[in-house]
Amino acid sequence: MNRIMAISWKEWRVAMDTPLGYVVAVAFLLAAGFFFGNHLFLVGQAEMRGYFSVMPLLLMFFIPAMTMRMLSDEQRSGTFELLATMPIRTIDIVLGKFVAVMLQVSVLLALTLFYPATLALIGNLDGGQLVAGYLALWLLAAAYVTISLYASALTDHAVVAYVIGFGMLFGLFITTQAMVTFSPASQDFITALSPITHYQLMLRGVIGLNDIGLFISTTALFLALTWFQLERRRWR
Amino acid sequence: MIKADQLCRKFGETYAVEALSFQVRRGEVMGLLGPNGAGKSTTMKMLTCFLPPSSGEASIAGLSLQDSLEVRRKVGYLPENAPSYSDLDVRSQLKFVGTMHGLQAATLTDRISEMGRACGLDQVMHRRIDELSKGFRQRVGLAASMLHDPDCLIFDEPTTGLDPNQIVEIRHLIRRLGEKKTVLLSSHVLPEVEAVCDRMMIIDRGRLQVIGTPAELARQAEGESLLHVRFKALADGVFEQLVQTFPELEVKGGDVPFSYTLTHPEPDLPLAEQVFHAAVASEAVILEMQSKQTTLEDIFRKLTGGEQ
Repeated sequence: MNRIMAISWKEWRVAMDTPLGYVVAVAFLLAAGFFFGNHLFLVGQAEMRGYFSVMPLLLMFFIPAMTMRMLSDEQRSGTFELLATMPIRTIDIVLGKFVAVMLQVSVLLALTLFYPATLALIGNLDGGQLVAGYLALWLLAAAYVTISLYASALTDHAVVAYVIGFGMLFGLFITTQAMVTFSPASQDFITALSPITHYQLMLRGVIGLNDIGLFISTTALFLALTWFQLERRRWR
Repeated sequence: MIKADQLCRKFGETYAVEALSFQVRRGEVMGLLGPNGAGKSTTMKMLTCFLPPSSGEASIAGLSLQDSLEVRRKVGYLPENAPSYSDLDVRSQLKFVGTMHGLQAATLTDRISEMGRACGLDQVMHRRIDELSKGFRQRVGLAASMLHDPDCLIFDEPTTGLDPNQIVEIRHLIRRLGEKKTVLLSSHVLPEVEAVCDRMMIIDRGRLQVIGTPAELARQAEGESLLHVRFKALADGVFEQLVQTFPELEVKGGDVPFSYTLTHPEPDLPLAEQVFHAAVASEAVILEMQSKQTTLEDIFRKLTGGEQ
């Protein structure tokens, strides 16, 4: 546990000390603010629907940027050899990195709580829906993080990792969006397995166990794939 | 303390390390020598549980490499080029490495200042690693590898990138460490190995060529007489008589005109004297004559195919 925290702490320090973390944070908050304000002034209602519905798309751009160098840089600069010869298990490395990104994502999402707080001042906000929305958003972000972390384990180059991560998330997004063009059987399949459809379901304010279960299993699946990829590198 | 038994590592069809067996005792500094690509780094990567051997066995402090988590606790490893996190400052880097080795906060602070002092890092503790020179980075790597006070130290080219003063400091440090611990270091700088190591081994193309103390190795190769001589003009006739007296004598022309190198497998032959008399008899003028001593460099070149 200590060692997982040490890895997260190190990644946190790096994010706080380097421009990349701040650039991502500022760009994300600007974009999120734009979509929030846009919807608010267009519809003129005290609700967060516009903000939540654009989030799967927005996070698709930002989360791969936060994870891209986490594992690829370790392999490129040779520090992976240092990590791999320490008395830790490979899964500790993966979990440490995951916790580190989730910490950063959580801070970013917490900063956007400023928007509903403003809304609450000017109108009646549905508290239950808001909580469900943020929970869904956080779970969706966790799934995105593990997918992009896996991409980072696949290559030595941060930019390639970004492109792979973005590509996988985009594929997920586009299949969910273009679902109506598929046969009914595949539509059921996508509805059942796409984190984005489950996210949209949760936005209605209903927290289903199967929704949460899907997010957790997607996250776990990609953590396992990342672990497998690193273990393979370690023992090749 | 370190024991390798028929250690092999294959990459595809080629062997990087082939049937390597050796032992390093406690309180001994062992030098691992070889040309680039000889398998030095691969050997170290196997001993530090980074690469699994294709076959063969090795143990560290009595623990088999299979017991990798325990082995890693016993080993301090400095990989080639001393990789470290360039975005961190020196103190954070050391703190990170120490925590990963399970050191408690209080011990860790003490160890960091102790190792920082030993490796001369006091002034740069708060500098970011990417602002440091290669020599300092190397020292950060050395300090990090010793934080958890391991019994066994494995250094892959510890002194590359250091200036001559730093090299001397690091050599002293390694010598001091070697009194209590087991040290295995690789290098292709021969004088360094001679200065620091109790014993050394030379590997080439993954195979062990020779192992022993520097003096032993020098003696092994010493077993021949070697003479270098240069004449004023062509003097092939001088050696005719000599070759008849010493049938095993080998005469080779040198790079410089009218120069020759004479080798005879028997040591301590009065070759110079014989050549002088032969030259006088055939009225050849000697300009230069020198008996040569075999050095570690000669042994190295001979064993690793540098001299055909």
